Amino acid sequence: MWPIIKITYREMISKRIFTITILMSLAFIILFGVATWFAAREVNDMMGRIGSDGVMMKGFFSTQLLGMGLYFGSIITALLAILSSVGSIASEIESHQIDTWLARSLTRKQYMLGKFFGLSSMLILYAALLFLGLLAINQWVGGGLVAVQVSAGQLLSGLGYFVLLPVILVSVSLLMSSMTTTVTGGIILIILYGISFIGGFVEQLGSLIDQESLINIGIVSSLLFPTDSLFRLTTLSLFETVDNPISFASQGIFGTSSPPSTAMIYYTIGYGLVALLLAIRVFQKRDV
Amino acid sequence: MSGNVIETWGLSKQYDGKGGCKEITLQVPRGTVFGFLGQNGAGKSTFVRTMLGLLHPTEGKATMLGQPIGTEASRRKVGYLPELFRYPDWLTGRQLLEHHGEICGLTRSERKRIIHEVVERVGLSGRVDERIRGYSKGMQQRIGLACALLSDPDLIFLDEPTSALDPIGRKEVRELIAQLRDQGKTIFLNSHLLSEMETVCDHVGIIHRSELVVHGEWRKLSAVKPQIEITLEQASQNWHELLPFVTENRLLRDVEGQTTWLVTLDRDGRVPALLEGLIASGAAVHEVVRKQQSLEDVFLYWVQQKEREAHVANHQNHV
Repeated sequence: MWPIIKITYREMISKRIFTITILMSLAFIILFGVATWFAAREVNDMMGRIGSDGVMMKGFFSTQLLGMGLYFGSIITALLAILSSVGSIASEIESHQIDTWLARSLTRKQYMLGKFFGLSSMLILYAALLFLGLLAINQWVGGGLVAVQVSAGQLLSGLGYFVLLPVILVSVSLLMSSMTTTVTGGIILIILYGISFIGGFVEQLGSLIDQESLINIGIVSSLLFPTDSLFRLTTLSLFETVDNPISFASQGIFGTSSPPSTAMIYYTIGYGLVALLLAIRVFQKRDV
Repeated sequence: MSGNVIETWGLSKQYDGKGGCKEITLQVPRGTVFGFLGQNGAGKSTFVRTMLGLLHPTEGKATMLGQPIGTEASRRKVGYLPELFRYPDWLTGRQLLEHHGEICGLTRSERKRIIHEVVERVGLSGRVDERIRGYSKGMQQRIGLACALLSDPDLIFLDEPTSALDPIGRKEVRELIAQLRDQGKTIFLNSHLLSEMETVCDHVGIIHRSELVVHGEWRKLSAVKPQIEITLEQASQNWHELLPFVTENRLLRDVEGQTTWLVTLDRDGRVPALLEGLIASGAAVHEVVRKQQSLEDVFLYWVQQKEREAHVANHQNHV
């Protein structure tokens, strides 16, 4: 399995998509840093003008800014996870590149797990660096004025949920990759990801205006593809305002008024595991 | 383990009951070069890919080096050059071989030594550190060959191994195959280039429309259609009609009253009877040469035979 992990690393590094994503991520982090610096100046002026009322505004600014950064960060992580893994089996089958690997004394399970661990570990590293980069900017570039108060425990828990997103996506992408073509798998995954995110917003909106049907739509979309719940859990871990009646007001569109349950966390992990096991099973049964 | 490195019993891989290979039962003896002959689309590559576990058989069973196909153990000492050779073009030739070597369980020092050897052997020295995307088709086929030889395999599947090579490259591959046989390796050679196969194969199997028509030592198979070239003088026009064991005849030359004929006999051992018959008819026999069958002749004979059988069966079904 280790040789396959190594080939996967080499492949990811060699592919243009990875280099471009790294460069664009750096550009994004720099932009986020500049925006945070200007926001800190604005908050400083505002605090001077409106005095103690500005504390709530400061909270709003800080969570909005970080929430926005994490939201965009989770999107690019998800897209990188999907685009780098959805073709990892399918495109090799289509081009027959896989033939000489599988003709070796290697089981298909080992091949699939090699791909999974290779892709997952690279994406975990990428997601962790992105997450920590955004947090570092939030904590230090703003000079403390727009910094969200985060404990080490909150940071670790938020990071854990954030890096779980690409792992789940890699599992499902590998399942798609072992079942269908690269293009079809990519389209299905991006649509599912979109449904999950929109469903997540619909659920938050439903919770805000107390509309059961909207909440149910969100729950169904999360069950269908539970990636949004991971973003919600990330922001919840960092902002910790679930039980606060003004939480949604202070968190805006990136907030969570309808938090995912503990069962949802287990469901998400189980979802990824089942997807990976199915990917192995389907790959073992199919012709290449 | 028996003396056969490949044994199959009714092995089939079909798609909705069609195509692929059907009910293949054959044995490939150890240390031979086995040529698997067939037209394009006859099922040669499907058979090889089924043996290697890339395709799942729809029926039958098979063993490779004494292990059931589809298992990890069956592929441990097997090399494979696919017909559609495509390798990750973002790797250099050496990196490709390094990765394959790691999968084969070779240590770092073994990899270094063996890669050097196989690269020399396939004629890629000096180019192995270039990216595969810069390789010509022929070079890609050579690096594929190097991959196939990397694990010092006992059984090597070569699927159309010279399709991208120039005449010199083809000759080199033929020599390489002969060297491998001399080392006791078994080579399963898939090709439709019969003239090339003829020079290297000991055994052949002929596949036609998914079914194995015949297999065995090809020189023995060639005896099915004994032919001689005979030069006569003063022979009557219908001399062959008097000899019932002459199944076919064709006038090749007519030079200054001497006619040369290609005669097909119904079985081996008829030459004395033929000569007696001709002399009795008053013909003067100037020259008799036993014609060595080419692999193409053997192939065409068996394929046509199969076609005839299929035609008869089809006709009977309609009746």
